[in-house]
Amino acid sequence: MRNRYVVRAAIPAIIGVIAVTGCGSNKSSGGGSGSSGSHTVVIGLSAPLTGPLSALGLGMKNSVDLAVKQANQANKVKGWTIKFDPQDDQGDANVGGQVAARLASESNLVGVVGTLNSSVAQQEQKAYNDQNIVMISPANTNPMLTQGPNFATGNKVRPYKSYFRVATTDAIQGPFAAQYLKSQGITKVATVNDQKTYGAGLVQQFEKQWKSQGGTITSHQTINPGDKDFSGVISKIKPTGAQALYYGGEYPEAGPLSKQMKAAGLNIPLMGGDGIYDPTYIKLAGPKSEGDLATSVGAPTDQLSSAQAFVSAYKAAGYKEDFSAYGAYSYDAANVIIDALAKVLPGKSSIDSSVRQAIVAAVQQTDMNGVTGHVSFDQYGDTTNKVLTVYKVKGGAWVPVKTDTFNS
Amino acid sequence: MSDFPGVLRDGRERLRARIEPRRRPLLVAAAAVTAVAALLPWSVPGVGYTNPLPGDLGSVGLGGHRLYVFVLALVCLVGLTNVAGRRRMATACALGALVISVIALYSLIKQGGGTGAAGVGAWVGTVGSLVLLAVTDTLPTGPPNRLPRLAAPAAVGAIVVVVGVLLAAVVIGLGIDDETQFLCFAIFVGALIAAAGALGVFAAFREAFDQYRAVGYAVALAAAVAFPFTQGTNATWDAVFARVGVFAAAAIGLNVVVGLAGLLDLGYIAFFGIGGYVSALLSDAVFTTVHVHVPFLVVFPLGAMVAGLIGVAFGAPTLRLRGDYLAIVTLGFGEIFRIVVQNWTGLTQGPNGISGIPDLRLPGFLGGMQFGKPHTVFGVSMPFQANYVFLDIVLVIFVMLVFARLNDSRIGRAWVAIREDELAARAMGINTIALKLLAFGIGATLAGAAGTINAHIGESVTPDDYQFIASALLLSAVVLGGMGTVPGAVLGAALLIGLPEKLRFVQDYRLFLFGLALVLLMRFRPEGLIVSRRRQREFHEGGSGADAMSQPAQVAPV
Amino acid sequence: MTQFLQQLTNGVVLGATYGLIALGYTMVYGIIQLINFAHGDIFMLGAFGGLALYNVLPHGMQDQVLIALPLCTLAGIALSVAVAVVMERVAYRPLRNAPRLAPLITAIGVSAMIEEGTRLWYPGAKAPLTFPPLLPSGGFTVGGVRISYASLVVVIVAVVLMIALQAFVLRSRTGRAMRATAQDPDTAKLMGINTDRVIVITFILGAALAAVAGVLNGARLGTVQFNDGFVAGLKAFTAAVLGGIGNITGCVAGGFILGIVEVMAVQYLPNGSGYKDLWAFVVLILVLVFRPTGLFGEEVTVRA
Repeated sequence: MRNRYVVRAAIPAIIGVIAVTGCGSNKSSGGGSGSSGSHTVVIGLSAPLTGPLSALGLGMKNSVDLAVKQANQANKVKGWTIKFDPQDDQGDANVGGQVAARLASESNLVGVVGTLNSSVAQQEQKAYNDQNIVMISPANTNPMLTQGPNFATGNKVRPYKSYFRVATTDAIQGPFAAQYLKSQGITKVATVNDQKTYGAGLVQQFEKQWKSQGGTITSHQTINPGDKDFSGVISKIKPTGAQALYYGGEYPEAGPLSKQMKAAGLNIPLMGGDGIYDPTYIKLAGPKSEGDLATSVGAPTDQLSSAQAFVSAYKAAGYKEDFSAYGAYSYDAANVIIDALAKVLPGKSSIDSSVRQAIVAAVQQTDMNGVTGHVSFDQYGDTTNKVLTVYKVKGGAWVPVKTDTFNS
Repeated sequence: MSDFPGVLRDGRERLRARIEPRRRPLLVAAAAVTAVAALLPWSVPGVGYTNPLPGDLGSVGLGGHRLYVFVLALVCLVGLTNVAGRRRMATACALGALVISVIALYSLIKQGGGTGAAGVGAWVGTVGSLVLLAVTDTLPTGPPNRLPRLAAPAAVGAIVVVVGVLLAAVVIGLGIDDETQFLCFAIFVGALIAAAGALGVFAAFREAFDQYRAVGYAVALAAAVAFPFTQGTNATWDAVFARVGVFAAAAIGLNVVVGLAGLLDLGYIAFFGIGGYVSALLSDAVFTTVHVHVPFLVVFPLGAMVAGLIGVAFGAPTLRLRGDYLAIVTLGFGEIFRIVVQNWTGLTQGPNGISGIPDLRLPGFLGGMQFGKPHTVFGVSMPFQANYVFLDIVLVIFVMLVFARLNDSRIGRAWVAIREDELAARAMGINTIALKLLAFGIGATLAGAAGTINAHIGESVTPDDYQFIASALLLSAVVLGGMGTVPGAVLGAALLIGLPEKLRFVQDYRLFLFGLALVLLMRFRPEGLIVSRRRQREFHEGGSGADAMSQPAQVAPV
Repeated sequence: MTQFLQQLTNGVVLGATYGLIALGYTMVYGIIQLINFAHGDIFMLGAFGGLALYNVLPHGMQDQVLIALPLCTLAGIALSVAVAVVMERVAYRPLRNAPRLAPLITAIGVSAMIEEGTRLWYPGAKAPLTFPPLLPSGGFTVGGVRISYASLVVVIVAVVLMIALQAFVLRSRTGRAMRATAQDPDTAKLMGINTDRVIVITFILGAALAAVAGVLNGARLGTVQFNDGFVAGLKAFTAAVLGGIGNITGCVAGGFILGIVEVMAVQYLPNGSGYKDLWAFVVLILVLVFRPTGLFGEEVTVRA
């Protein structure tokens, strides 16, 4: 009897004590970071900053950093200072989920630039959408992300209203590649994909277009991300008489695949999407990768007159890493968010769910001339800019061979 | 062949011999110097650097890590008394003070850009605590202290105080944003916990706990429930707690298999994954392949059952194998599961997994609670993650009850018999195959149950979530915490998942450190942090016991 | 038929690699009944050791296959053997009399340390690294089946090493000591055999063979990564079990069978390439359930 009395008295007391200490410590941790006289708003980034895809991710991070610094210097968002919070998703869907949970729980965060990988984006979209946080990807190309899982059957439904992208989709990139290969007089193609959102989607869209224009798919195979030994896959393609291999996936697998293909005497070009458009691909694939092809979104950054200012500002800022394939797009994505903040935030003193909703609405209405061209979004959150470029490996580097606006 | 550790040992012996005769004055001097150093300025005024540590380090004061060094130095004076366990207390505190000083020194030098940036306090504190450690090392070894047995109200009070202090330490620690500061705090708390252990506080706590189990569990429960209240609207740690919770539940399940029955299951995460995929497929997620929504109250037992049945189906033919063969076969099973979900794209969406899993919703007769919405309880408004924390607590209680019931039953004793000596157990008439299968099946069922909840917390399931490394992580949670104990599994899960979230800079080194931890644990403390009494005897029977680290931490009360 | 023979060739090459790694498992298990979980990572380290030396070779020597290949292989062996010896001494030896699960858990820890240590501290190893073309390029065609010189070298080296090992274990004094220790360590000790030394030698031999496999595999595939050892190690262990653990000839045969099963699955099963890693584990489970002594029987009686 007596015990019970003690317990009854003690538990609320302990909870009380701890609640007080807890609140105290929260208060002290919340206040520190803002600079004097101005409110702080946070823009996050989710990209692979370590791991095999870090070359691309670090370019994204630096470019967003540049946009944020420029905006703060020019005091673009009156009365607010923008803080940049880059997070490493390692290009791994699982880690991406944790990154999203962490970013979405930040009370001053309104927007996230990222991700690089479609599969990672798929894990992050919901967490941001639940909190009305804008997510703009400079690189996700899988149509599902904006048009829903059944887009292929024409039943397009936008799953998340806070998700946007400034990159064109595989629904455009795959067919664009198919048109290019046909124009080169190729009729028989083998495909391999890594079954990830990006790779499988790309190959699916490619095959659809390829068949509709009368081409033959001689072999359709899948591999697993992380595979190294492709001898079985290659031996299976070889007797089918394929004139090119279309690969859906990223360079860590595509590079060795190309190298082993040529070593096994299968001397046909490997073509892929923007996932292989990186110098690392050529390093991994070796000297025999001459003639391999890749498509990538937009026109080559250094050939766009609109991008000159970005390129020179990026160099002046002295970042260690190159801005790589998605730097200019990340810079535009960050500026889309910053523009929306400049419209919504002045006069506000804190971030709440209505402010966040207003920001999402402002992003949807974006009409901006970015460094990669004109930026605006359609009803699914996809960019209206449908320019693509085919690159070819020549002399150990990617050289643009054709830039065009896609039309089917 | 010259023996490297041997050289070190000889050096330590010589140093000891020289300090031994002058121990008392040296101890007082070293403790005093260290304590005074803590008060002195730790940084040099005028050196421009962002201050990594709190307080005005340029002047005399006692803030942040200096308080820790000060307190730890003074605790070392216990070496002057005759308290049993004083050696452990003093060395733990001296080591703590040394590590904190070195961390502070390092961060000052790094931030300030040179050795000139560290003030007199930093240097004297580091040297002082190093001397202190050398002096305390000469104290005689001995068993830990035993506190007198507590009477009823005092015992209950002791439980409340110990649990309350630990919770307060956790809450305060999580409130520290700066990593260096947090690290110092964590080491301070760790040193004090080690000292308290040597003083016999935890033995007494355990005794009191055994005596008043209901009260003990109620207090622990209250502490767990209180946690989200302490976090207010801040979701960060609720989200981490939610993940720790399901992993802890899975770890307890693994503990049935490994800790009780002694079957090393290296593919355990697959059962967690089966539960997760069942739950994801039946939740009408955004990127699902099966457009059905089954209420969670059905999915939960279903996921557990499916995992359990697959566990039994798989275990039946393989459990005849020797222990280490079984380990590899289970590992193979785990990989088979991962490869299948990775390639069965028609059902599982392949490597992308199933994402956009909706938040849980309780049915109307249970209040129709929406887990995706923040709630206000007792005037404290909490983010939606807190809902999952409370659900986790229910889950862990359920799993703990299963574990405790089994452990204290005939079945539990039979498992232990099998673990100790399978041949003898069989000779005694124990149906070893059936019992091993039971353990395997129960472990799988519990993992499946935890997995169904995990799918909703993570909002997605992907094959990469269920790689071998996840099994190894769960196993190390069990090993680190202590095989065969429930609090051990919970502690292990909290340390392995929670701590890296706090110490972001170790994130990249996490797997390396966990490998190192496994190796060191098996070498020096195979029984884990929280000792199951049975295990303690098993691991140390016939051992030399000469090493200080491998001595029994506590003498088990009868 | 040509296609079948082509894939058979691929399988044999793959199997040679598995067989070389498997020898380390089988010898260590035969002698101290430890599944040296970290052995796959020793294989991976061999490739990294070779790569490290290649990068510091003068350019003239890099292109000379006959100079670069042996040198890089030796460097790989040196690294693998060094790590294996430290691992045995520091992690496994102190646990010789511990409960059986303790060394296995330690092995998991060692494996994580080697993989992560490589990833963290080998320059650039966080991403897959390009492995130099140490093997002769080109090849020839026999009856429609293309055989590259690289594959030929891999198979020949592997077979020669396996025969040499068999001869060493059967004929040399040390080999006899190894067999004695495997039979009964206590008696062996009484007979004046330094069992600690025998165990170290076993680890060294296993590590050296794995390192050779690592360098050859890296050169054949053109890429190495820190986690290459995990799956390769598991498959090699399967090969060892398949052939009957402790049985050197069986182990080699197991490697070849496994390699061939894998490529044939890629060729003839639907989505075979996606599921290719599955078959090793299926084979492992089937063998252990239906014929735990392996296809060719265990040479050493192993105590439970």
